[in-house]
Amino acid sequence: MVNLKVSISKLKLKTPILLASGVLGSSYSTINRVIRETRIGAIVTKSFTWEPRVGYNTPIVAYTKAGIVNAVGLTNPGYRALKEILGNIVKNDVPIVVSIAASTSKEYAEIASFAEENGADAVELNLSCPHVKGHGLEIGQDPEYVGKIVHEVRSVLKIPVIVKLGLTDRIVDSALKAEKAGADAVSAINSIRSVVIDVYARKPILSNIYGGLSGPAIHPIAVRVVFDLYKNIEIPIIGIGGVTDWVDAVEFFLAGASAVAIASVIAIKGLKVIDEIIKGIEEYMDKEGFQKISELVGLAHGN
Amino acid sequence: MKMFLETLKMCKAEIVKVVKEAEGIKSLLLETSIEKPIPGQFVMVWVPGFEEIPISPSMYERNVLRLTVATVGETTRKIHSLKPGERLFIRGPYGRGFNLDEKGNFLLIAGGYGAAPIIYALHELRKKGKNVAYIIGARSKDKLLFVSEARKFNAEVYIATDDGSLGFKGSAVEVAEKLIAKYDNVLACGPERMLYKIMLKCLELGVKCQISIERYIKCGIGICGSCVLDPKGLRVCSDGPVFYAEELANTEFGKYYTYPPGIKKPIE
Repeated sequence: MVNLKVSISKLKLKTPILLASGVLGSSYSTINRVIRETRIGAIVTKSFTWEPRVGYNTPIVAYTKAGIVNAVGLTNPGYRALKEILGNIVKNDVPIVVSIAASTSKEYAEIASFAEENGADAVELNLSCPHVKGHGLEIGQDPEYVGKIVHEVRSVLKIPVIVKLGLTDRIVDSALKAEKAGADAVSAINSIRSVVIDVYARKPILSNIYGGLSGPAIHPIAVRVVFDLYKNIEIPIIGIGGVTDWVDAVEFFLAGASAVAIASVIAIKGLKVIDEIIKGIEEYMDKEGFQKISELVGLAHGN
Repeated sequence: MKMFLETLKMCKAEIVKVVKEAEGIKSLLLETSIEKPIPGQFVMVWVPGFEEIPISPSMYERNVLRLTVATVGETTRKIHSLKPGERLFIRGPYGRGFNLDEKGNFLLIAGGYGAAPIIYALHELRKKGKNVAYIIGARSKDKLLFVSEARKFNAEVYIATDDGSLGFKGSAVEVAEKLIAKYDNVLACGPERMLYKIMLKCLELGVKCQISIERYIKCGIGICGSCVLDPKGLRVCSDGPVFYAEELANTEFGKYYTYPPGIKKPIE
């Protein structure tokens, strides 16, 4: 009998698939819908910032042969709205992880406390937004600063603290600092900073010029990062990046991820893809003789 | 059906003709390679240097797409200034359109520039040989859309103007309320207050009713969360923009409008 339950620190997930931050996670009604209609293991909300953010002007998405490039611009009603949003979520045993994008360690800590007070099961510190100045990647590529933020948040919080890191040369160093400062898990990676130019308009398509590439193109890069992180840190890793089917998810487990988050594939295939991926993992484990996800985690590193 | 990712591709669209349809409303005929939209679906239209906006086409015929545009902001004003030979950029079509395969006759109700997807549905319904009536409401006679076009397609036409300058003096809803019971299906698009009344009437009478609604669509593909209808979590861009009355009942529709970053504005 295959058991799909996984634990990420204190979080208990029914299935190893999380909804990654950014898609469908900005209002209680879409979150409730994902919980109601799928076997999702946990939900990571869209990132909440100190002040409300309208987001960027359109176009906010652009096509490439390799996937979607987006620059939504951290649209969110500001962290104070978490009270109402969290209050309206019908969890049904699905942990809610509140994603936070702030610009100082003090802001991260205050928003995290507010999320905890209002019922969040964990927080994810978004230290890797590829397209909003002062709200991400610059922070994530400075390991000392990552350590400082995690320390400050950890010291005021009881619930797990997850750190979301993006692709930088220093991602392993940042993860090590986060672990040392008390982080409970690391999510990797975020979308990758990109530009798309229309050859007839002869202009970048996105109003923000820069966006984040997601989809199949970034999957092997994300697998490499998870593989490297697994060799260096002890805390659980949540693999994110270009998962479109169960094969990609299993690949992440084998590289060292304890759970996998998905996002842009939902835009392409709809909500039903969540259960398709979960069913695929279940069948693979059954056929290949695995009982628990933990048996797969890091198996590709074997002796 | 193209692969979904392909519908994300920006397609250049050359303007072949510009037609003034009514006061403040123009149609652009565009040559484009996008897939034929189902009436009620929408395309995202990008004017480089301006914004990308959702528009529900008013006609499609052999690679020529017609977009009927009212001036509501900077981007639509720019679109109105464009001339034949100039280009727009289009991706789509997206969303769920009208189901034109429902059985029986159809009452089509349009208010203002909501007439765009309605007249396209009328073309396609007539091609299927369906019995169709068209109610068009506007503030005054110089703002009425597609009256002669509907007649050309042999639809029965009812006109309502707020100032009584042509047809019934009053709203399209008042005209519709007397007719709905005679039809098997209602298709409607226009101001939300009007649509809400039509929804209630159809639910009361048990008439199948499909309504095309408007919210702030930004990505067009169901990821950004700008166009969500609370509390059901329906995404207007990908679960709609056409919904059956039963789906819209008990949502924010007709009561308030949620737009980024989560501000609720009452429907006047």
